[in-house]
Amino acid sequence: MIRGLHIGLLLLLLVGCRKDPGLDTPEQDRPFALELPPGFSMPPIPADNPLTEASVQLGKALFFDTRLSRDNSISCASCHLPDRAFSDITAVSVGVDGRTGFRNSPTLANVGYHTRFFRDGGVPTLEQQVIAPIHDPVEMDHNIQVAAANLRDVEPYRRLSLLAYGKPLDAWVLSRAVANYQRTLISGWSRWDRWMQGQASALNPSEVRGWQLFSSEALNCLACHGGNDLSDHDFHNVGQYLDYADPGRERITLQSGDLGKFKTPTLRNIALTAPYMHDGTMATLGEVLDHFASGGLSHPARSPEMRTFVLSPQDKADLIAFLNALTDERPLDQVR
Amino acid sequence: MKKFALLLPIVLVLVACTKPEKPTPPTPVPPAPNTGTLRITLVPEWEGQPLQFFTEYRNFMDYRATVELVKMYFGNISMVEGTDTLLVKDVALFDLANAATVDIPVPEGAWSTMHAMLAVPAELNYADPALYGSGHPLSVSNGTYWTWATGYRYVMFEGRYDADPQSTATLTSAYALHPGMEPSLVEFGLSPSSGITIVKGQTTELQVRVAVDRFFHSDEFQIDLATEHTAHGNNIPLQWKLVNNVVKSMSLE
Repeated sequence: MIRGLHIGLLLLLLVGCRKDPGLDTPEQDRPFALELPPGFSMPPIPADNPLTEASVQLGKALFFDTRLSRDNSISCASCHLPDRAFSDITAVSVGVDGRTGFRNSPTLANVGYHTRFFRDGGVPTLEQQVIAPIHDPVEMDHNIQVAAANLRDVEPYRRLSLLAYGKPLDAWVLSRAVANYQRTLISGWSRWDRWMQGQASALNPSEVRGWQLFSSEALNCLACHGGNDLSDHDFHNVGQYLDYADPGRERITLQSGDLGKFKTPTLRNIALTAPYMHDGTMATLGEVLDHFASGGLSHPARSPEMRTFVLSPQDKADLIAFLNALTDERPLDQVR
Repeated sequence: MKKFALLLPIVLVLVACTKPEKPTPPTPVPPAPNTGTLRITLVPEWEGQPLQFFTEYRNFMDYRATVELVKMYFGNISMVEGTDTLLVKDVALFDLANAATVDIPVPEGAWSTMHAMLAVPAELNYADPALYGSGHPLSVSNGTYWTWATGYRYVMFEGRYDADPQSTATLTSAYALHPGMEPSLVEFGLSPSSGITIVKGQTTELQVRVAVDRFFHSDEFQIDLATEHTAHGNNIPLQWKLVNNVVKSMSLE
């Protein structure tokens, strides 16, 4: 009798102490399988923000959510249009209440490889970058803490935030998730990439001539537009103005030698990212080529890499053909 | 023996099946022994009278001017006595329009000076602001964070002005002086004649009068709003004038 009671109690002990199934986490987060083009390394990932499925899903949902703006009118995607390689079609983007900024919205392609953010490089991490447009009065004019609190109990944010970061949505989670989504926007699948990998038919003769011109010493484009991202991610004054209304990098470093310097933009998907230059004042690639052929204006801080060169109409057409071949053949967005 | 054998499994069941204890909310850390409180209060004034925000005044150049916002950081707040210096608070934010008071635990004793920088210490200035929740001096909700430069405005001084003393028009021109970044970092000390005595378990008041009218002028620096109305990290000479004037505007009761 007592032995039976013991067995019964032991069974109770074993069965009764199981965790409540309702308290179990039904899902587990896992690393996001980021696809990289041939020759690309993994972008740097901060130790406190691993690239996971849930984090990028959360980031993508937030990126497209207008509730990050004060009046629910503007999302990140409003100024970083997916079908424009996550750039904007206007010279300067329009924020809440029709307010306009003073710089052109750059593409977000390969932004995970950058080490300084914004055109003047004032922000050192992608996570901190996320805060800026939310607070900027001419962009979203909101408060990241308020925005996160408003969405904390809203799905899918509640579930994904717990899954990815083990806590409810807050400013820390929001900034990390959006940063991670941006890290997945990889560009490196253009026809030019295929040609560089040995597929001779990937470019036509005009595009090949354009690449040869682009990479020639005479034009010196590779001095700043080299590497996988066709950008050195450094800051240069290209003699666009003699008197810069926007101080550029000088605003951050307070060094006069940095006046009018802006981060070299990637040339990937450049056919999609017009208008051009830091202020979006050049509408076409032809205008941009004319500017660089002129060597730029003689600003004291102008880059010594700027050269003057002469382009025949055919040269110009070939260069533009090459630049047009830098468009990815697949969507940048890998998060499904 | 049999009874014991019967009871043991029951006790096991009862003990083993209790739910894990919920984490208890953090209890306030008891003050360290021999600690009192230093209460720093910044009292804004205009020519010796309590400052009324959004009220029209005349500044030293007879310009019509209002003051609409004054915020400032004290960083690395330390107590000094002789050659001894004790760091008591990393950073505090004072919003002079809203009860600019900060309480700081300080070991009991007699101190001659409270020393601080009119700034956010560099190691905090460039940290990720998303780490700080609402209520923290470095929270982005305070409106002091420069998102484009990942740093804080050490001082925010804003209002409206009219450089024409004869005008009666509504003040529409805004001034916004926002010193930040290392070149505009100044340090200062406040030394009451009677010293700062901290008594265990008690609060010692340090009331600092801030003559906001003197932000525009001191024996060394004058700010002409007609031409010097904007500084957002970019106008170092103007920032330097302001932070030095702010330090000189502070006095003790």
